[in-house]
Amino acid sequence: MTTNIPAARQDGEMITDSVRALLDARAERLRARLEMKAEEATVMVAEFRVGTEVFAIPLQDFRAGVPLKHVTPVPLSPADVIGIVRYQGRVITAFSLASLLRVQGWRMDPTVLLIVEPTPGHLVGLDCEQIPKPSTLPLAAIEKARARNRGAVLELLTPGLAQVKLLDLSALLASRMGNTDGN
Amino acid sequence: MEIDPVMMEIIGGFVPEAKELCDKVASEILRIEQKPDGPAPTADTYKSLARGLHTLKGTAATLGLDDLSTIGHGMEDVVAPFHHALGPLPSAVADELLRVLDLFMTRLQSHAEGRSGDLPDAAAIIGRLRELASSPAPVTIATPDKVAPAAAPTTGEESPTSARSPIPSASMEAPNQVDAVAEANVSDDQSGWRVNSRNVVALFREAERMREIRLRMIERRRVLDSTIAAVTKLATIPETASLYTQLVAIRQALQSDGEELGDMVDSLEGGIKTICTLPVRTIVDPLHRAVRDLCRLTGKEAALAVIGAELSLDRRILEKLKGPLVHLIRNALDHGIEPVAVRKERGKHRAGALVIRVEQQGNMIFIEVGDDGSGLDFNRIREVAVARQLYSSDELSRMTPEQVAQIVFEPGFSTRAQVSGTSGRGVGMDVVLSEVQALGGTIQVKTTAGQGSRFSIAVPADLGSSPTLLVRCGEYSFGVPVISVESIVAARRERIRFGDHMKLEHRDELLDLLDLGHMLRLREPDVPGEGQPLLIIHAQGQRVALLVDEVIGNRDQVIQPLPDELRSLPAYQGASIQGSGELLLVLRGDWLAQPSHSAKGVRSAARRVLVVDDSLTARAMHRAVLEASGYSVHAVGSARGALDQLRHSAYDVIVCDVAMDEMDGFALTSRLRAEPGTSTIPIMLVSMGDGEIERSKGIAAGADGFLSKKDCASGRLVAEISSVIARRQVLTP
Repeated sequence: MTTNIPAARQDGEMITDSVRALLDARAERLRARLEMKAEEATVMVAEFRVGTEVFAIPLQDFRAGVPLKHVTPVPLSPADVIGIVRYQGRVITAFSLASLLRVQGWRMDPTVLLIVEPTPGHLVGLDCEQIPKPSTLPLAAIEKARARNRGAVLELLTPGLAQVKLLDLSALLASRMGNTDGN
Repeated sequence: MEIDPVMMEIIGGFVPEAKELCDKVASEILRIEQKPDGPAPTADTYKSLARGLHTLKGTAATLGLDDLSTIGHGMEDVVAPFHHALGPLPSAVADELLRVLDLFMTRLQSHAEGRSGDLPDAAAIIGRLRELASSPAPVTIATPDKVAPAAAPTTGEESPTSARSPIPSASMEAPNQVDAVAEANVSDDQSGWRVNSRNVVALFREAERMREIRLRMIERRRVLDSTIAAVTKLATIPETASLYTQLVAIRQALQSDGEELGDMVDSLEGGIKTICTLPVRTIVDPLHRAVRDLCRLTGKEAALAVIGAELSLDRRILEKLKGPLVHLIRNALDHGIEPVAVRKERGKHRAGALVIRVEQQGNMIFIEVGDDGSGLDFNRIREVAVARQLYSSDELSRMTPEQVAQIVFEPGFSTRAQVSGTSGRGVGMDVVLSEVQALGGTIQVKTTAGQGSRFSIAVPADLGSSPTLLVRCGEYSFGVPVISVESIVAARRERIRFGDHMKLEHRDELLDLLDLGHMLRLREPDVPGEGQPLLIIHAQGQRVALLVDEVIGNRDQVIQPLPDELRSLPAYQGASIQGSGELLLVLRGDWLAQPSHSAKGVRSAARRVLVVDDSLTARAMHRAVLEASGYSVHAVGSARGALDQLRHSAYDVIVCDVAMDEMDGFALTSRLRAEPGTSTIPIMLVSMGDGEIERSKGIAAGADGFLSKKDCASGRLVAEISSVIARRQVLTP
């Protein structure tokens, strides 16, 4: 049947019902593919472990991963602060991610400091057990999780059914406001 | 009036210049205003006033702002007769001139914003000025040597646009119009380019980085010096002789480069500071007028004195401090300074004294606003606090006078029952507090009944370096501003007094003796060993002796403010970058000298835990979990640190990491068990692994418990600690 279509068009004949049905079916397939693309939209993230759990931060907030060295502890600071560190000429606060997330325990001592920018121009450091790996999370899953919970930590299931906790860093840091007095 | 966009931009550029000129003119008016027993105005003051008015008029005319030019001209006419006579300006005339200056600025602002069409006719202002100008001339009080050069007579009928004419039209001894325009142009040249302050600050940061590089070069030279010293010993060997020569040449080159870099940084910083800073007087001079106006309104008398007005400070900080200073001064005059009759009854001078003192120490700016009025009324503050249900009587009875004084910063708090034009709404002091806090600063109030109050503001400045004394306390190093260190003395047992708190007998004075380590919660309060260094700290009128473990040396440090998350910590001025790239925390002198620290010298009743772990995160995690469970926690990063700590302090339990450099947890446990003072302290080892071999090794070394860091995750840490303490108590009753 398909071999007849070009001939019919060349002859300027009216499109037959069977051809129309074929074109409709093709259009349907294309539309479905577009919808699937929207469903498959993803967000790039940096993924890492804290204790036994897997966390992720949007890659757009991530600035650098540096060795966890030269951190100066600050006596009297809040318990979630591990100290201050110099980064590109600026003095920034280094936080214990496990403390921020109230995770009681860890598998290995952190060796990496993630430099993140939760709000424009504001850098902070977060300790991490290892260099995070780049990954993607489905946008649809994020939106679904966001609809359920507007907190700083969004729990979502990846297509492989692994649980990942996506961090909203500005909300996470804002939630510790008022906890600035270490006295 | 239609103004094209380019001209509007130029007028916009004139606004800040006019503001400065108006402030200057206002302060000259206040200087020549008639005062009882006040000195006669000088020709110089009048001359300066005349030039200011003339520049305002001339520039306005140049920009085509005829109304403002005419107003300026009218003000000149009013001042001229007094200038000729060198007589004081009556207060009514001063009032009118100050009011017109305000109107001048308001109108200029409207022109700059393209709203000149909304402006009311200036005729009324000009008419009032002409009326004043035509009133009888003042009595001449000038002595012959004070007489100013004769000025051209004024007709008072000049056209508003006459300022544009090349023919001199000014009524005073002012230069002619060409000069006025030239003066305006000069002013334009002086005002220079308009640059974004952010760019200038970024440039300053680069200069600071250069200074850090210079400091690092000095550090590297020290290292090189010690290398050369080591090589010198081998210099007799031919192979090392050439190496020695090379090293010496490198040292000289490094020194020369360092000096050149230093000169460049100084020059660069100096130039940028000139751009970034303004003299304090730019914000305090207008306060003279505020004081004067408020005195006229309230019938009180007061004089404002400013110490440190010539100091140049970061203009962004000055801009933000303007509001708080106005509030504090108005508050002092309205609430603090008594009416003349009351002051006389109390044996005080009829005019109250208001003092602003500004000082910069390193990267801290200290501003004090004081008055010699009646002081804060504590009874009234308590009454109002109870009436407004801010605090209960019971809470207030437990508060110290300092805490009660801080209530004045509560939002909406006012001791005035009636709202007046100047106060009573309770808006002001809370705004002062929030604005100072927004700058990362603090404010404190001290008051003495019948003698006055003093508000002390401390805000960190971004700009500047300062000499710092480096000290060691346990495993930590800190900087102490040299300006706060009066002297360093060696501890002598016979000079220390023991009681509720330790005291040091120093130059016939008994000073509180404080342990820096304890103040920073690094250890239990320590007793100084013979010869241990004690810093005599002097700040904010307080003096204390501070125990440190070692004085490392003296350095010039560029101090950066702490990040926002830590800026509320009162102990620190900021941090400076060391040659190694690490940061050094710089302590605040006024925090060190606070007498309240001595009250903290008492040991807490909570169980004490010493955490030994080379991981910062592990220390932070243990601390968070244990403090939440009511333990008092000290943490160190090495076995050596633990041994040092145990010499000073006693603990109920030690939580120790196994894998550490130099000495691991097993070795530390064995050593502690071998020493009589520590043989019975419960020890719990924490390790990454949880294998049986490691566990057995720990128990064999003398540990009371063993936990993997993974187990800490399940919240077993606290339970396990309680268990090892209990077990040890059974073993050693």
